[in-house]
Parts: sequence; structure tokens; C-alpha cells
Amino acid sequence: MGRYVIRRLLQAIPVLLGATILIYCLVFLLPGDPIQALAGEKKADPNITAILREQYHLNDPLYQRYWYYISGVLTGDFGTDFTGRPVAEIMSETFPVTLNLATIAFAVEAVVGIVAGVFAALGRGKFLDNVVLLSTLLLVSVPVFVLGNVLQLVLGVKWAIAPISYDSEDMTTLILPAVVLASASLAYITRLTRTSMMETMRADYVRTATAKGLSRSRVIVRHALRNAMIPIVTFLGVDLGALMGGAIITERIFNIPGIGGTLYQAVYLRQGTTVVSIVTVLVLVYIAANLIVDLLYAVLDPRIRYA
Amino acid sequence: MRGAKSAKWVAGAIVVALAATACGGGGSDSKANGAKQVVMELGEPQNGLIPSNTYESEGSEVMNALFTGLVRYDEKNETQLDMAASIETKDSKVWTIKLKDGYTFHNGEPVTAQSFADAWNYGANQDNTQETNPLYNKIEGYADLNPGEGKKPATDKMKGLKVVDEKTLEVTLTAPFSAFKTMLGFNAFYPLPKAFFKDPKGFETAPIGNGMFKMDGKFVRNQQIKTVKFDKHPDAAEVKIPGVTFKIYNNQDTAYRDLLGGRVDIMDTVPLSAMTTAAKDLGDRYIQGTDSGVGYIGFPIKYNKVYAKPEIRKAISQAIDRKAITEKIFVNTRTPADDFINPLVPGYRSGACGAPCTFDPAAAKKAFDAAGGLPGNKMELGYNADGGHKDWIEAVAAQLEKNLGVDVTVKPFEQFQTILNDLGDKKYSGAFRLAWSMDYPHPENYLRPVFSEDAIEHGSNYSGYVNPQVEKFLDQGDTATTEDAAIKAYQQADDLILKDMPYIPVYFYKLNAGLSKNLKPGVRIDNMTQIDWTTVNPA
Repeated sequence: MGRYVIRRLLQAIPVLLGATILIYCLVFLLPGDPIQALAGEKKADPNITAILREQYHLNDPLYQRYWYYISGVLTGDFGTDFTGRPVAEIMSETFPVTLNLATIAFAVEAVVGIVAGVFAALGRGKFLDNVVLLSTLLLVSVPVFVLGNVLQLVLGVKWAIAPISYDSEDMTTLILPAVVLASASLAYITRLTRTSMMETMRADYVRTATAKGLSRSRVIVRHALRNAMIPIVTFLGVDLGALMGGAIITERIFNIPGIGGTLYQAVYLRQGTTVVSIVTVLVLVYIAANLIVDLLYAVLDPRIRYA
Repeated sequence: MRGAKSAKWVAGAIVVALAATACGGGGSDSKANGAKQVVMELGEPQNGLIPSNTYESEGSEVMNALFTGLVRYDEKNETQLDMAASIETKDSKVWTIKLKDGYTFHNGEPVTAQSFADAWNYGANQDNTQETNPLYNKIEGYADLNPGEGKKPATDKMKGLKVVDEKTLEVTLTAPFSAFKTMLGFNAFYPLPKAFFKDPKGFETAPIGNGMFKMDGKFVRNQQIKTVKFDKHPDAAEVKIPGVTFKIYNNQDTAYRDLLGGRVDIMDTVPLSAMTTAAKDLGDRYIQGTDSGVGYIGFPIKYNKVYAKPEIRKAISQAIDRKAITEKIFVNTRTPADDFINPLVPGYRSGACGAPCTFDPAAAKKAFDAAGGLPGNKMELGYNADGGHKDWIEAVAAQLEKNLGVDVTVKPFEQFQTILNDLGDKKYSGAFRLAWSMDYPHPENYLRPVFSEDAIEHGSNYSGYVNPQVEKFLDQGDTATTEDAAIKAYQQADDLILKDMPYIPVYFYKLNAGLSKNLKPGVRIDNMTQIDWTTVNPA
């Protein structure tokens, strides 16, 4: 187990390096001068531009700049963007907000999705099952920006029972955005749980458990659900990263100052260091989530062992 | 197209929402005792809150609340003294600025002539890489502070700034410049307290100004800037609100919904999606006016000989139906341009452009053919795809195809800068869109930074247009000693440029602002799109 984890962590190093190199090159190969981008359509002063270009190593070859960047990162210094703001500061302000949003969304989709899926599976073909199937179909087919805007208008503007935009002093303003963010995955998880549950419920060992005289709830929760969880856990693990990286639309609708908006702005203004740093952290989140998923397999299914 | 569709849909939904709430009635009396904090919508300022490093509209709005400048701009767009008691000159070269008494910084330090001199010296020094650095270049000694990349300035003071006494500053310019007084209202010319120089980095999130409002807490990036009224300001009695919170939005549609919900009180740009309903939504709290921007189509005169003839450029201009574009595509958020000088500044003449800016397809076609047309009957029109320009550029292209019979290829670029790079690298040689917005409300600012020879290197003269006669009149305007003589000379330059038409003026931007029900109508927004906070009254 321990060796397996270490091996996986070692594998993460080349992945991370590769990701940073790729993104670094992509961002800096975009046309447009980052210093001029800050001045918009007005011409930036040539002298000041020259000084700033030198200061931010923009005249050096790409590999050298990458080396400056990556050696900084390895010593814990993410550098600054082209307005002189430390990237670490930008990330420490925006990541917690997105993390809060993603965590609430994750909890919503995991709890609601699994519970709804289990009930739908148990009452297969009955009224509740049809309600679940229909509502999840609706959630999957409505794009996030439509759902977000509709809920914002109806609940926020029209009925005034939910906040229109995020307020940093009031965490409850994150609930509606989190529900919107979770909606599509919620539907997938419900359907996945339903199918997976129906399959396991027909398995021989479940019939044996029932025949042994175990209570129905014990059969469902301890025997069936545990085994049915494997595809769900896989999906949830990958989704955690997607929730963080994909929050951009939801963040925009509800004016949440998270990484989505920051990343968009940074790409637009060619703030290379900001983009690379944020994406690197996102890659880390994905790697960690995937590792945890793989480890959970062993917990859920005793037949899986990692040497 | 997705954006436009959802925008219409959103606007429709807002009407429904409003109709629903209108029945509610009731009215709020929660703020019976005293007024509450006013919330203004703001985009994230680009840099920290240092006046000389603020060269964009969002940061400037905050600067305007936190600082009081030497001059301000009144209802008639004229320059009035603010913190200055007098600004005098005999030759437009040496300016004597006397300060009023009673102004202090928010930390209690009195504002003196030295506060201004220090601030300007800091802003002009290349080592500080302030964004507004080029705005100080009229002052004598600017060159000493800007020896160029790789060199250290030998001094940290401009010799043109002389602190005569505590309340008198004498400014000597390198050459006469009649618009200098008008220029002083821009935030680059605000004073800075001694505390700034001790910790410029800290100042970025906790600025100390001399304005009507002072910071309440720190600037929380991407979230808010909270200020309270500064009671020791000489004009504090005129401020009727306890403070202003600038709430930062990354999305104006959301901000507009908060405006309707009363969580935002002032929005200086109503989003395009709400344009068709704003008048109904907001009633007399919808503020419309002119904005300082001008949109052009530029020709690469320097790079491409086919556009060398002014007759060709004027014929193209005449073939553009500006009214259709401003009404249909911009839903009246623009007005047809008829001068290079914006209506917001003294010296604008309605219809100065004359026939070339008046839509006449038949005359345009005739003039176009008479001038020999374009080789191969082909024309390219470039735009940057990141700024919402596609629709109007395609409309212009369609109009030119129809009215002049040329084949117009519309070419999108990633960013505006890419167009310029491709022009410079000779990868692109067609016409292109661009826009200009003033730094200070003076006709000079619509001409020299865009059409002078100097602007090829230092400004927005991207077409490479040079006319010695224009230079002469611009110099004449600069050296004039009366405002009238200056404006007259600039207008003569303007006339010549209109005749040559290196850029086609297409539209002027419009100001569309909105207030919430928490405020009384009648808030004044000046020509720099800055709120006159003495006109903000709680409802």
C-alpha cells in the first residue's frame, strides 16, 4: 500500500512538469505582448514597456524564462504577474473561494445523487423512479448558464428569496451557485447509482445475504451499495477537479471571485505566470483526487489489493 | 449569436420580474434614520490604488472618490478650480499654481505644494514604471528621469517643478502647452502624502488621499473597496451620504440585477443586454449622455499605397450608414460621429466632418470610381475578436460591398495588438478598427495623441499619417495663451485632418448609467465618467 502510494506520487512529478511546460509554452506563444495588453488599445509608453519587459525577463528565450519560473516554484515562489502582484497572493485569495464552492457542490451531488439513485433503483419502474429519471434528464439537458440565470432571476430577482450575487461576508450566498454548479453531475451520479444499484441488487451474493435473513437495510447499505459505489467513486473523484476548473460559468453568473474568473482574466491579459500556476494547482488536485479514488477501490472491494 | 439571444431573453425576464414586484408596493422605511452606504458597481481595478499607476476607468473612479485634484470638470465640460486657488500663466510655459487652505490627507498631513511635486516626480521616474508616466512628459526635466532602459536616472526630481512656498507650485514645461490646466484634473496629477513614499506597496491596498472619502479597511481584491465620508474635507458638508462601497463585479448583467434589487445603487455602464428595457426599468434613474470614446476605421497609409488617396478614404466614409449601425447594431449606445473631436469637450463642432460623414451611397460610389477605386476591387477590414466588434465591422463590410461594389474581406485578429504587429511585420495591409478615449477633456487630446507625427512612436497614430500643416496648427494651439485662440488653432488642425481622413470617425460612445431606488435621480456624471459625489442624495 505505502509503496504503491509512493510510486504514484513519483509518477505525478513528470506529469506535473510536463503540464507546466506545455501550458507555459502555450500561454507565452499566444500572440500579443503582455505589457501592451495591460494598456489596452492605447500605446504603452515605449520606454516604460522596455523597462518592464526587461524586468519580467520577456526578452529572454522561452526555455530560460521557464527555468526562472520553475526554479522559483520549486523554492515556493510562484513569481508575480505583470502588474507586480505575487501570484501566490492571487491564488491564496481565489482558491479558497472556489474550494468552498466546489466542496458544497460536491456534497450536494454526492449526497442527493446517491440517495436519489438508491431510491430510484429500489423502486424500479415505480412513480419515484420515473420522477428521478425525468428530472435528471432535464438537469442533464439544460446548460449550466441557462439554469444559473433562470434560478438567479426567479429566486433572486423575482421572489427575492435567494441572493443574486456572492457576498464574502455571507457564506449562504454560495448555496444556490453550488447547486447550479452541481446540477449536471448530480444527474449523472443519480443515474449511475441507479443503474449500478440495480445490477448489484441482482447479484448472487445479495440474494445470499437476503436468504441468510439479514435485514433489508443492511443488505442494501452494507452489501449492495458498497459494491455499487465503485463506478460512482470513480466519477466523483474526477468530478472534484472538474468542479474546480469548471466553475468559471457559475462564478461569472453569481459574481464569485474564484479561480475561474481569475484564470479567464489572466488568459485574456496574457498573465502567463498566473495561468500556469493556477493550472498547475488544478493538475495537482486532479492527481490527488485520482489517487484517492484508486485507494478507495481497495476499501470498497476487498478483492482489490495494492502491493 | 448565443450572447445576443440570451441577452434578449434576460431582458424579457427582467420585465416580467419587475411587473411582478410592482404589485407588491409597500415601500421600505428601514433607512428612515440617516442614509445608508451607497454601493457602486465597479470592475476590478487593474493595479494597486496608486494615482499615477491608474490609467483605466475602474481605478480612476476610486481615485476620484479618494482624492481631490487641482481642477475638476463642470456641467458644461469646462475646467473649474478644485483644490487650486488659482492657476496662472502668461506664456503657457511657466504655470503658477496656488493651493487653497484647509485640505489635509486622511492621515492628518496637510496637502502642500510639495505633496504635488513629490507625487509627480514619483510618477515620472522610469524606475517606478508607473502607467501614467508619459503624461508628465510636458514638464521640464522629464527626460532626466527617463534616460531609457538599462540606464539609471541621475536625479529623482524634475527641474520644472519648483516649490515656491507651502502653497505655491511653479511648473515649467519644456514647451508651451495651453491645455496643461485642463490636464491637471487627471488622476496622475493628484498629490501624495509622505506616508506613501515610506510604503508604496502597502498604499496599493490602503491608499491615503485628500478626497471626500477615505478608506474604511483595505482594498479586498475582486471583492470591494469600502470608503467613508472624510469629515475634515472642506466640501464635506455637501456630501449627503455616509460613504461609498465600490463592489467589484466581473459581470455587468449580474450587477444590473443587483441594481434592480437595490443591492447596487450606481452603475455607470448599463449592460448591453438591458439596453432595450433600461428606460422602463429605471425611469428617471436612467442617465444617458455622451461618453468620451470615439470609434474609427483606420487605414494603413504608411504600409499600403492603395489607401494613399484621401478621396478613396472619404468615399469609403461616405458609403457607411452610421445611423443604421448606431441604432440597429448598438441599440443607441453609440451616436454617429461627425467630428474627430468628441462632443464632450469644448471645441467640438457638430457636423464638422460634413459630406464625408453623411451617408450618400450614390455620391460615394461616384467619388470612389472617380478616384480610381481599389486594385482588384478588393478591400480588407480587420478587427480584434476579443472586444465585441464583429457585428458592426461586418455591417460596415456589407454596406461597403453594397454601396461601392467592392469585395470586402473581414478579418478577425486575436487582440488589437495583433493587428498592429501584423501591420508592422507586413503580414496584413488592410484597414482596421480602433478607438480612442481621452485622458483629459481637451480638443488637443483628440488630435495630437492620434494624428501627430509624434504619435506614431508614442501614441495611437497607427496609420502613420503625417501632415506638416497639421503639426503647425497643433503647435499653434499648444503655444496659444488664451483658451479661445488655442481651440481655434486645434479646430484648424481638425479641419485639415478631416480633409485627409486617415481614420474614418464612425461613432461616439454614449454614457448609459443607472441608479437604484435608494437614490434620488439627478446624480451628475462628469465627462471623465466620474461621479460628482455632491450630487448623490439618498431617496
